[in-house]
Amino acid sequence: MLQITDLHAAIDNKPILQGLNLTVNAGEVHAIMGPNASGKSTLAHVLAGKDGYDVTQGSVIYNGQNLLELAAEERARQGIFLAMQYPVELPGVNNMVFLRESLNAIRRARGESELDAVAFLRLVKEKAKLVHLDEKLLKRSVNTGFSGGEKKRNEILQMALLEPTLAILDETDSGLDIDALRVVAEGVNALRNPQRAMIVVTHYQRLLDYIEPDYVHVLANGKIIRSGTKQLARELEAKGYGWITGGAAA
Amino acid sequence: MNLAESNRQWLHNLITQGQHLPGQQLDWLNQTRQTARQLMASLELPHRKQEAWRYTSIERLTKYNFLHAPENDGTLPDTGIGEWILPDNGSYRLVFINGHCAPRLCDIRGLPRNVAIGCLRASMSTDGEVIQHYLSKQFVPSSPDLFTALNTANIDDGLFVHIPKNVTLDKPVEVLHLNLARDSELLILPRHLVVIEAGASATLIERYASHGSHAYFSNNVSEVFVNDNARLSHYRIQDESSQSHHLGRVNILQGADSNYKGVYLALGGSWSRCEIDARFAGKGAHCDINGLYTVHDKQLTDFHLNVLHNQTHCSSRENFRGIIAGSGRAVFDGRIVVDKQAQKTDAQLTNKNLLLSHDAEVDTKPQLEIYADDVKCSHGTTVGQIDPKQVFYLRSRGIDEAMARKMLCLGFAEEILEQLELPEVRSFVENRVQDTLFAPH
Repeated sequence: MLQITDLHAAIDNKPILQGLNLTVNAGEVHAIMGPNASGKSTLAHVLAGKDGYDVTQGSVIYNGQNLLELAAEERARQGIFLAMQYPVELPGVNNMVFLRESLNAIRRARGESELDAVAFLRLVKEKAKLVHLDEKLLKRSVNTGFSGGEKKRNEILQMALLEPTLAILDETDSGLDIDALRVVAEGVNALRNPQRAMIVVTHYQRLLDYIEPDYVHVLANGKIIRSGTKQLARELEAKGYGWITGGAAA
Repeated sequence: MNLAESNRQWLHNLITQGQHLPGQQLDWLNQTRQTARQLMASLELPHRKQEAWRYTSIERLTKYNFLHAPENDGTLPDTGIGEWILPDNGSYRLVFINGHCAPRLCDIRGLPRNVAIGCLRASMSTDGEVIQHYLSKQFVPSSPDLFTALNTANIDDGLFVHIPKNVTLDKPVEVLHLNLARDSELLILPRHLVVIEAGASATLIERYASHGSHAYFSNNVSEVFVNDNARLSHYRIQDESSQSHHLGRVNILQGADSNYKGVYLALGGSWSRCEIDARFAGKGAHCDINGLYTVHDKQLTDFHLNVLHNQTHCSSRENFRGIIAGSGRAVFDGRIVVDKQAQKTDAQLTNKNLLLSHDAEVDTKPQLEIYADDVKCSHGTTVGQIDPKQVFYLRSRGIDEAMARKMLCLGFAEEILEQLELPEVRSFVENRVQDTLFAPH
């Protein structure tokens, strides 16, 4: 589904990714771990098409096409979803209106008919239950005044609605207490299926107790320096990143 | 002729035109007009060195030789007036064309007895006492104003609303001020008087619209009296052509424990300025003035707000937002003065602006002048652009960039739009906001 080959990316001429290789197949869950500033979030952003990153070398092929040529909205319509580390607040933009606009944009791209208000309401309520999101939050402005946990649940709600082919979860565990983490992880697990791949970016092994990855990769200085199974994550937890990065990285 | 001379000539033309007014020839009215005419002769044209006109030049006005609009000859746009009025919402409807009432387009069937909704000219014979008592008498401007004087010197017709004591009007009053710019350079001078007597309440929806492509100048003055314990919800929508010049003044005087809620929308016009003055005649009143301006290429939109807290225990909220696109220019000058005796005043002034292009410009000047020592007052102002992080968030959910920007603009406007409590007014305005900002120009 996704082949990343020798990817180099920079922000303001500062190299962040420096020769990253990764292959993800349908049905797989890959965890990307690594110390701060190793390039984890940059990878997530480059895949989702955020402005401000220069890809200086390498390629990303997604379902046979050059992903890097596509605009962010085009990637979303082709099944890429980024659950953000810091979901932004959109004051005045009603959450329901936003979710419906988004779902219908993606349905149109898939050649499906748009959902009418009634069908949409039914669907969104069902999905909100899945992530234990208070229905009141659907009527409020997107993420505005939401707690950290509510914002992350709203992200997973979007993922559940949009049914992506490739979901990228960027530090979805950051700032969550253990109950919120469990709820978010359950939401994610419910979406695992043989057609869908996931890339779970995290600093801590804890999330992987709830979302069990098929593969674990360690990213340092913009490259994957070690790959393994979930056993690797446990070793990292016990020994710290310094164990494989060779330095005193956190 | 140099500029000073030509300006004097321009003003002189405006003054002399009004000497043979049609309509009622009442002694008190003639006296009022005459006083205003004398006042005008003693005033100079506004210029940029005056604080109130620092950011707004009247050069665009003085280019034209405006002439009094003739009486309406009864011809209407072929398309009728449907596009400017709300879908049938059962309101009392009045239509003014070039400042004069068009009786056959009005519908005030079922109006309760004693309630007066109509045109000022005709009401002078039926409600003469009320009009004489209020018109140009109860609200004395803190400093003489040339354009108010121009309007007063020409008082002839306009909106008249009188809601008697303790009457709650069952339906909103919808007023269309349609300016037909078939001939060039019309001067339109409507004078409006709204009196909500003690304990009464009403909703007033006003819309300024235009038809025709010629330049015109609407210099309108509204006097609004919300007496003790009375309530008025006032939605004022200014949505005129790209050749229109609009100077609107709204003077509001509130009695004790009264409530005035205004939502002012400035959506279109070549040069438009709205001056709102509010003050109090009794304690415990609340004044809530909200506004939204959308300004496009080559347009100038100016809001001047003066709220004078001159009584104790009154509160006011002034919340204005602007979206400025292309080479549009906006001016917001909001001033709250709290007099020495106005203890326990609670006032908040906010102005937020969203600039959609590099050429868009706003001059915003919030001011608080506080002379009392036991008050709660604040003001805040921001000027910003659409946040690229917000755009990316929407795009990453499959929404294209144009739609994302549109959603964010409407989101920015929402705080004002949600003040439009009548759903039909809200959806109508929301559509117009979208059109003015996003339809190709």
